[in-house]
Amino acid sequence: MSRNVLILLGLLVAGALYPLTGSAFITVGISVLLFTGWATSWNLLGGWAGQLSLGHASFVGLGAYIVAVGASQFGIAPWWSVLISMAVAGVLAAVWGKLTFGLRGPYFSLSTIAIAEIMRLVAINEGWLTGGASGVFIDSLPEPFGIDLFDKTAQYYLALLYAAITIGITLFISSRRFGYQLKAVRDNEEAAMAAGINPSVVKLKAFVLSGMLTALGGGVYGIFLSFIEPHLIFNLLLSIQIALTVIIGGRGTIWGPAVGAALLVIAGEIFRTAFAQANLLVYGVLILVVILVLPRGIVGEYVHKLVRRKYAKRA
Amino acid sequence: MQNVLEADSIKVQFGGLVAVNNVSLSLAPGQVLGLIGPNGAGKSTLFNAITGFAPVRSGKVSFLGQDVTQQPPYIRTRNGMGRTFQTERPYEDLTVLENVLVAAFLKNPKRKDAERVALSALDKVGLLDRAHQLSSDLNLARLRRLELAKALALDPKVLFLDEIMAGLNPPALKEMIEFLRTLTATGMSIVMVEHIMEAIIQLADHVIVLASGNKIAEGTATEVINNEQVIEAYLGTD
Repeated sequence: MSRNVLILLGLLVAGALYPLTGSAFITVGISVLLFTGWATSWNLLGGWAGQLSLGHASFVGLGAYIVAVGASQFGIAPWWSVLISMAVAGVLAAVWGKLTFGLRGPYFSLSTIAIAEIMRLVAINEGWLTGGASGVFIDSLPEPFGIDLFDKTAQYYLALLYAAITIGITLFISSRRFGYQLKAVRDNEEAAMAAGINPSVVKLKAFVLSGMLTALGGGVYGIFLSFIEPHLIFNLLLSIQIALTVIIGGRGTIWGPAVGAALLVIAGEIFRTAFAQANLLVYGVLILVVILVLPRGIVGEYVHKLVRRKYAKRA
Repeated sequence: MQNVLEADSIKVQFGGLVAVNNVSLSLAPGQVLGLIGPNGAGKSTLFNAITGFAPVRSGKVSFLGQDVTQQPPYIRTRNGMGRTFQTERPYEDLTVLENVLVAAFLKNPKRKDAERVALSALDKVGLLDRAHQLSSDLNLARLRRLELAKALALDPKVLFLDEIMAGLNPPALKEMIEFLRTLTATGMSIVMVEHIMEAIIQLADHVIVLASGNKIAEGTATEVINNEQVIEAYLGTD
């Protein structure tokens, strides 16, 4: 078994034990895990395939809304509605990618901002389905095996499972053909084509997978919030936060998103209590320092140095 | 024997500039075709047109009996064209081995098989001891060899080499020439753009000379280097 699989299993065990400590910080734990999952999903497209998305809140919102509307209006159990939301997210990503992967440079990123904006407007205006600007409220959920899904501990375990799934998938891809195709397309599209790779298809696959996995986490988020408002969820700030988590943690790495999520969420919490009004300023400075000192991100720089050190040792 | 590659009246135009003007060529299995000419003659552009990286205005490219003129480059690669780039294009965040692995995955979907093919390609170009180095840390001469290893790992039927000899010292040049001979002995065909005449003389079965996008001479290496027009194109007239 590879070292990374062992780390994942170790973290899973540690994560599973965390609520047993009776910690008061269970919601912080949920936030870290959700951001880990979203960022890991974003990383498949933004880090591995090099396509910077600033619209991943669309997929979060899609997951949250479909689970919430499914539960409140149609009585669909969340484990079914989340699958529906993943399918919808996959189709959305496929169509969006087909339209926009012809665009180079920042244009793809700009177009992703538009998706979230369009979805927000749809959510506001199609009130018969989405509850409009006032949002949707989940008032009851089924209780599988007697588990109360409104319970924070149950939600924590859902988030833990979600984060583990996204990291597991990334791990699976990372050493296989698809993983290398993604990196090849990111580093040099022409060279990738000379290696028989169709860059558009590879990017599209990454976008679809990334969108589906983000929606899955959106479903968990919907249950966690149990009240969803279009302004809060289809929010550019959320999209930026997801992207920033990966950029700080390390693009194209396996553990970067998790490290970034832990750092940003926990730092955000500490700063909010320690610096009161100045917390966003401190937060901003921290981000700036990491980007200036560690341009590949925390894990990215570490992995880069590790490869060099390993080679030096062999030689 | 049937030709593996035929290009018929290829024309490549960028705006008003005709970069390649009605150039034809053909290549038999196991043969080496040399493309020479002064800087800006259109050698690399012709090369790109044949491999699918430059748009063909008119003319036809046939590869293994199939019309590939409209095919995107990655399809041509899958069908058996392997190429290097004149300016090296490593995947900078990947190690040397991983760079070659990307190419080896084309015919070997399993990591284990791909790694075996990639290591063997690195061994052939003498980069095996660099396998785990970051490709961005390689010097220029080694990046050239990495380009070659990437093309070899595709297991191509025709190898397109764009100035692969540039910057090699005499012993390394000799080694490279010997190595390419072993490839043609296995039936691989090679198209090479090259400035090093020694390599052309020793390897090429047929040489085409381009100047300002036009084919000005062709024949064996000794024939073309004694051709008046060729000398004029390189040195000018007095």
